[in-house]
Amino acid sequence: MTQLILGQLLNGIIVGSLYGIIALGVTLTFGLTGIVNFALGAFMMLGAYSTWYLYDVSHLPYPIAVIGAVAIVSAVGYVSDLTLFRFTRGNLVNGLLVSIGLISVFEALILAAFTTTPKDLTYVMPGAFHVAGLFLPKIKIMVCLVFLAIIFGTYLALTRTWLGRAAFAYAQNPEAAALMGIRTERLQTIVVVYSTALAGLGGGLYASMYSLEPTIGAAYILKAVEAAILAGVGSVIGALGGGIILGVSENIGSVFFPSAFRDAYGLVFLIAILLVRPSGLFGDKS
Amino acid sequence: MRLAILGGLLVALIAPWFVKSDSTLAIAIYGFMAASLAVSFNLIFGFSGQLSMFHAASFGVSAYVVTILVTSYGWNFWLAIPCALALVVVLSLIVGTICFRFKLKEFYFAVVTLAFSEVLRLITLNWNSVTNGSLGITVVEKPALWTPWGTLTFSSGVSWYYVTLALLVVVFVICQRVLGSWIGQCLAAIRLNDQLGETLGIDVFKYKLLSFAIGSALAGLVGAFYGFYAGFVEPHYLSITLGLDIVAMVLLGGINSLIGPVIGALLLTALPHMIELSAELRIALYGAILIFVILVMPKGIMGLLSSRKNAA
Repeated sequence: MTQLILGQLLNGIIVGSLYGIIALGVTLTFGLTGIVNFALGAFMMLGAYSTWYLYDVSHLPYPIAVIGAVAIVSAVGYVSDLTLFRFTRGNLVNGLLVSIGLISVFEALILAAFTTTPKDLTYVMPGAFHVAGLFLPKIKIMVCLVFLAIIFGTYLALTRTWLGRAAFAYAQNPEAAALMGIRTERLQTIVVVYSTALAGLGGGLYASMYSLEPTIGAAYILKAVEAAILAGVGSVIGALGGGIILGVSENIGSVFFPSAFRDAYGLVFLIAILLVRPSGLFGDKS
Repeated sequence: MRLAILGGLLVALIAPWFVKSDSTLAIAIYGFMAASLAVSFNLIFGFSGQLSMFHAASFGVSAYVVTILVTSYGWNFWLAIPCALALVVVLSLIVGTICFRFKLKEFYFAVVTLAFSEVLRLITLNWNSVTNGSLGITVVEKPALWTPWGTLTFSSGVSWYYVTLALLVVVFVICQRVLGSWIGQCLAAIRLNDQLGETLGIDVFKYKLLSFAIGSALAGLVGAFYGFYAGFVEPHYLSITLGLDIVAMVLLGGINSLIGPVIGALLLTALPHMIELSAELRIALYGAILIFVILVMPKGIMGLLSSRKNAA
């Protein structure tokens, strides 16, 4: 029993770090542009398919395939920011709907190109660690570590660099930030593109663990939004924390309760948190 | 405006004499039901300013309850409807009370209502003994209406056409009456500035809850009929996709108008069928239309029409 719970705990942390990396994109985009980019799930799906294509079809080494996929997704993200998201800044409902329209477009195009047949990558990193009776696939540990590194890296970049401080300044007071010489338009574009790149990376690493379908993004963006809200929108480390809480509560929840309802445990948790602390677990109390 | 609506209704009433194609009728029937959903949703979204993601859940729960009562327990269709509506109202009061008591706004309201709606969808998906899981329930029974001239069974396309048209008219008139009364005035005040409304003595909580419950109940009314026309109910009825489709219809038609959502719903239901496309491209086109509408005409078709009138 202890082993089962420990195993599920670790699984929860691994899935949670994937929620976290997308939640980080959600949180950053929301903080700087005032919209919730639901299409990040679709960007993740694009990243996963690009990785699959570069690795399994073009036979590039896996790390290069992931980097290539991130580049492709960022380029798509840049184009969509330039042509679409730029016009929805600060308008929550419009931004939400434009991103939802974008999901339909991306999913339909991938569907038309690669059909619904699930795609599986050939093993990237076979083998597993056996620690104290627990079975830990190497690839999952690796993926989890990459996500953690990226999230902490983002946190450092946001707190230590000029650009990061500019982003914080903008989130607090856009006009004052503009007066201080921050090129706010460019800052917003950078953040939107960075969040799509994070989603692309999430997708690229997802591809090494699970099989791909054009609709994989939908579940993950919902979880990521839940995680971001759970943590308190705007908190970087909170996004990771929220993701892990969500992942763990789902996995541990399905040990004790019917696993068919695993998606519901996180939701119930989310509702409870929002009612008790509307600004989220890690958010400012205001 | 009123003349245009009555004229449109007249055209709709006599249309079945001229349109003989079954597929066109089916599109109109689905269009009317979508329009009823959009109009009732706009009561909550456009007129009260609450982005509810619970609408599809109200619709789906009612569809399930009516279907289960009729197919498994042999209830009469017309008796099952009040039961389903009562359940939908109770659910919406619970969800609404929680959300509005804690003063959840905008995005947070949307997410929490979505969360409740997902929980309900998971129940319909996994409560196999009652809902038959992901396969859903097939409905072969057709509702019948007793009239002095004999029993009228809703089996033909034309009969469903008139039933759903009547449904749309009922939903439309109820929303119009609600908005025309003092409730509508209070809702407008709350939408524009709820703190100011509160200082003026409006019970913000009560009116938000009222519009949420009325809108949800009307969605439930549509759901009760939908399953019997489509011939099946499935967990997909409660999905986020349907909820977002309704939002898109309202935005396309025009958010601050009663008739706008009707136009938006009819257009969005009919458009994909008018253009011959593969299924994938149809979804892509749908997304493209949505993006286009938001970016180019954010006030919808009615907004476009009224701004032209003002300019002239």
